[in-house]
Amino acid sequence: MKQEAVARAVGQPAVASRPRIQLPYLSFLYVNKNAKWAMVILLPILLITFLAPFLPLQAPLESNIRASLNAPSLEHPFGTDKLGRDVFSRTLSGIKVSLFVGMTVALISLAFGIALGTASGFFGKTVDRVIMGVVDIFLAFPSLLLAIGLVAILGAGTVPVICAISLADVPRFIRLQRSLVLSLKSRPFIDAARTVQAPRLWLMTKHIVPNTIAPLLVAASITAANAILIEASLSFLGLGILPPEPSLGNIIKDGQVYLQQAWWISTLPGAVILLIAISLHFLSDGIREALDPRARK
Amino acid sequence: MENGATAGTINRPAGKQASLTQPLLQVQDLHTHFFTESGTVKAVNGVSFELQRGERLAVVGESGSGKSAMAMSLIQLIAYPGKLVSGSIRLDGKELVGLGEPELNKLRGSAIGTVFQDPMSSLDPVMRVEDQMIQPIRMHLKLGQKEARKHAVDLLTRVGIPDADNRISAYPFEMSGGMRQRVMIAMALSCRPKLILADEPTTALDVTIQAQIVELLKTMTETTGSAMMFITHDLGLVARFAQKVAVMYAGKIVESGTVGEIFSSPKHPYTQSLLKTIPSVSGEKRRRLLQIQGLPPDMKLHITGCSYKERCPAASERCYTDAPELMPREGGQSAACWLKNGLMTEGYESITTLLSQGEKPEAKEGWNRIPLNGSVSEQPDSPGDDNVVLRITDLHKHFKKASLLPWKKGAEIRAVGGISLKLQRGETMGIVGESGCGKSTTARMLLGLDEPTSGRIEINGSIQIVFQDPYSSFNPKMKISDIIAEPLHVRKIGTKEERLRRVRELIKKVGLDLSYLSRYPSQLSGGQRQRVGVARALALDPSIVVADEPTSALDVSVRAQIINLLCDLKEEMGLSFVFISHDLSTVRYISDTIAVMYLGEIVEYGPAEEIFVHPAHPYTKALLAAVPVPDPMIEGERTIEQLRGELPSPANPPAGCAFSSRCPHVTAKCTERKPPLRGYLERREVACHAVS
Amino acid sequence: MLSYAMKRIMQLIVTMFGVVTLVFFAIRMIPGDPAAAMAGDNLSGAALEEFRRKLGLDAPLWEQYADYLLSVIRFDFGSTITTSLPIAGLMLKALPITLMVAGFTMLLAVLIAIPLGTVAAFLANKGKKKLDNAITWTAMIVDLMPAFWTALLLMLFLSLNLKLLPASGAVSFEDPSLMLKRIALPVVVLAVSQVATLARITRTAVLEVLNEDYVRTARSMGMSEMVVVFRHALKNAMLPIITIVGLSFGNLLNGTVIVEFIFSIPGIGTLLVYGINSRDYPLVQNVILFYAFVFVAINFITDMVYKKVDPRVQF
Repeated sequence: MKQEAVARAVGQPAVASRPRIQLPYLSFLYVNKNAKWAMVILLPILLITFLAPFLPLQAPLESNIRASLNAPSLEHPFGTDKLGRDVFSRTLSGIKVSLFVGMTVALISLAFGIALGTASGFFGKTVDRVIMGVVDIFLAFPSLLLAIGLVAILGAGTVPVICAISLADVPRFIRLQRSLVLSLKSRPFIDAARTVQAPRLWLMTKHIVPNTIAPLLVAASITAANAILIEASLSFLGLGILPPEPSLGNIIKDGQVYLQQAWWISTLPGAVILLIAISLHFLSDGIREALDPRARK
Repeated sequence: MENGATAGTINRPAGKQASLTQPLLQVQDLHTHFFTESGTVKAVNGVSFELQRGERLAVVGESGSGKSAMAMSLIQLIAYPGKLVSGSIRLDGKELVGLGEPELNKLRGSAIGTVFQDPMSSLDPVMRVEDQMIQPIRMHLKLGQKEARKHAVDLLTRVGIPDADNRISAYPFEMSGGMRQRVMIAMALSCRPKLILADEPTTALDVTIQAQIVELLKTMTETTGSAMMFITHDLGLVARFAQKVAVMYAGKIVESGTVGEIFSSPKHPYTQSLLKTIPSVSGEKRRRLLQIQGLPPDMKLHITGCSYKERCPAASERCYTDAPELMPREGGQSAACWLKNGLMTEGYESITTLLSQGEKPEAKEGWNRIPLNGSVSEQPDSPGDDNVVLRITDLHKHFKKASLLPWKKGAEIRAVGGISLKLQRGETMGIVGESGCGKSTTARMLLGLDEPTSGRIEINGSIQIVFQDPYSSFNPKMKISDIIAEPLHVRKIGTKEERLRRVRELIKKVGLDLSYLSRYPSQLSGGQRQRVGVARALALDPSIVVADEPTSALDVSVRAQIINLLCDLKEEMGLSFVFISHDLSTVRYISDTIAVMYLGEIVEYGPAEEIFVHPAHPYTKALLAAVPVPDPMIEGERTIEQLRGELPSPANPPAGCAFSSRCPHVTAKCTERKPPLRGYLERREVACHAVS
Repeated sequence: MLSYAMKRIMQLIVTMFGVVTLVFFAIRMIPGDPAAAMAGDNLSGAALEEFRRKLGLDAPLWEQYADYLLSVIRFDFGSTITTSLPIAGLMLKALPITLMVAGFTMLLAVLIAIPLGTVAAFLANKGKKKLDNAITWTAMIVDLMPAFWTALLLMLFLSLNLKLLPASGAVSFEDPSLMLKRIALPVVVLAVSQVATLARITRTAVLEVLNEDYVRTARSMGMSEMVVVFRHALKNAMLPIITIVGLSFGNLLNGTVIVEFIFSIPGIGTLLVYGINSRDYPLVQNVILFYAFVFVAINFITDMVYKKVDPRVQF
């Protein structure tokens, strides 16, 4: 009997850790709490926004003088403005613009950030000095002010606004990516690849960039939120997207004059901006948690 | 529970009247749990022991055994989400469990002092030493500012800090690691505690500094009469330092007794195996190390029966159902095992036959060199000097530290200052030395990661590396199969199928099965990762493998597995190894020749056995003396000649012989002229004026 | 210290030179004819040429650039197109108001945010999740509220409904009490979001420090939680907090533009928006340049303070 026990004990393989189940790629959206909150807020907004043409709503630009400054009701969930336009349908239209601006700016920032930040951090020396010199010049401006200045030059409208905000955000991404690359560059697994004379392109594409994706995505969703806020600020100041095309910022600006008589025009679209920003922050926390095992506590 | 009190007793001085002297510390059935989101970790799971006044108890265990959590439970400083769940802690008869924070704060620091592991991070970086020391003294000893400062200066002097009156105003970053640990000890002693907890107090220090600190702790406890609980994983330190020993495994004490008892006749299979897995500095060579199979249990899971059963060669049916309590044996010893003598029980004459030696890779049919199309070797073996695979000639590496201002010249650090070495085919060369001696820089130059400032490196064949920390040496986003295949992939060797075949062959060779290939590094244990590291190093069929501290990040019981693996590969494939380590017993076990480095230079070189038995250079002597031997008999007999002072900075080395600032036999000649590395005896070289 | 400051100042000069260059060429990048764009539709033919000459746009590019560099160094930015008032004078007049709003905001924010963040970190460290979560969540939501929206909400409640604070009226240093009342609402609007940002940063920084080994050392010596948190944790956490305070000045400057616009306060931000709406490019150009100067200077100061506070930095 003893021999049996001995055999059993000795025969056990030296394996302890159980293989973790690999989840499909986007599963974090319903697995982790932060991402779930993001989806709870963002999905309904997206759904209503893109179903707007099929809903029994007054068109965003259609005015009805007889229904001027009506309080929120079933017919007009966010009330109407001075011209009798439906604030809800204008808001939905504004959300589309906001989301488009946010997404585009995030993508542009990601693309330029990865390319220039990786080059700067990886090659160092002159490349780094030149790129970081330019980045420092752009970072000398507070972000909204840089965007205001650029819009002043480029003019109003969606495309100039996207360009202006991107120019303010790209330098921040380059900085982030550069610092990520620098910290990865000295990691032993890079040394391991270098001992077999792996070419630079291999080091960058196989080892460095894949390991920067997680923090970059985290930053990208925050950037999207900031871009939405800056676009709204620009439009609010009358410099971004100009009326009559609705944007969340210019709807709120329109309502400022009637704040006392018709509080809904300004406050409700503002709340929508806040909700979108919150959901994007949840999303970034969710991505951080999903991609970085250490963040899980 | 019925025999809890006696079972937990470590120290019942056999002859003395135990009833008169109440033990200083009585711990009863202590439980500390960590309530994490993924489950409750029962870090301390029923620990009972006693500690007498002035006694030195060593608590030994691997990482995760709960030894640190146990020590922190004693002063109830367990970080959230940890919680002391139940049990009793009596200090001088006074119950500590259930006391409020203000009462505990009166005891912390005054009745119980604590020394932590890492002196670099354990002192507040933005506060002067005096500000950190004086406040507790004023609070606990009720002294005024002036007296408290005087007391603090006094203590710093006693722990060996020169010019303490000035140094007390320094910030921690202005001191070396050894000095900071002295400050920590002075702080722990400052309010005259009856008990000192020392949690791995020397682990972060260099060997010669470690020897100083251990000696200091020993004399301080002797002169102040404080008892000490010393937590460590180093059995050598236990032998040198402790009077009593408690061995922890999976949150429990599995064996306790006096140092002599534990080392001469261990009773628990874990202790018995542990003592057999370490290569001993004085021990026989070239026998495979015994190794403990498997890994410690997952502390989040409920354990039925004995927690060691899966790894114990003598486990029986009973071990799977009932957990053995700590039961008294002869003398004051006790062990938690159903077998009276553990693996020494009748029928198990020798544990050597029982402990698995780790299946030697059965693939005896030979290693097919270059099985893939395309040559891997970079240079054809030159027929003339066929046996030398590596020749280093006068290698230098100087780092320039850039100055803040462009017009000022930066300081120059001489990391490697001219070394020459030769490595034969199939030979293992150990490079030993303390931090800053240049051993890792040398390795980096061998691998082409750093460009030498001057000198030549000639390699016959190719060279690969096994890194110290197996986790950070893998890209966390890559699968094990891609990691092992990377060198082949980069060099464009073979087709995809051929590479995969090679990877399968390699992973089997290092003793893992194929299922690991589809996992990620984070899903492997430390030992398994290091095996993968070895497999990757072998992928290109190198002639030389550099192993840079390959076992220092691993637990004691896993180290033996890796060392055995390296020895097997060396034998089978005729590999040459450059083995870099500060762990002298491992180096001695594995190496044929040894190079001892100090401040970027080789001070002694020669066959391993000769150097270990008859070291010639004073530094080698001091280094060997500083390493504690896991045998209390040897430790008790030897008088340790300690090295004075600290390692000098490589930016500002002493004139003449680099070792002159610390050498016990220093003469005027040493500070004037640098001794060259000269031949000594038949096959050795030593750089010392006094040796010829 | 001094040599470090000099090194930083040299870097600053290089950066500011780049900023000036960028601002100069950005204006020249206006699509089409810059002079025509600035003049609007009112001028044509000879009048437009005259206008171009007045702005110096007829000179070769390098000459214009050299002129501009000199004018920046002399702090003489010429005059506005629309009113012909000296730009430097307009900015100097608007500056104290903007600075006062920003200064009060920062003061208020630091006084509230640092204790709040420290408390939250302390609660988190002790495992008191609920209270900590309440503070952290509120801070996060407030942090994300668009400044102009907060401004409108507060205006609606505090001045329109409750009539506590004026939302409009003259701003003049001659009547300090009226002045203070007048800027109270803008300061509150800006402070709300600054408090949220700083409190979150403080919480993270203090929480990180509370897990450090030296905090455990202090606790093991029997130091009370008050000593641990305020003497050890906060002192160490000050370093990242100082950095963030410097950077959040950028957000604060962004915010001043918006509140000045909403509450019609004659600060630099209002000057900027006026400039853009009246296509007064020289005015816009120089106001933006001025913001960059202020931001860079503030970052330089925080950098110096950081180096001063951290004993580990060696010079």
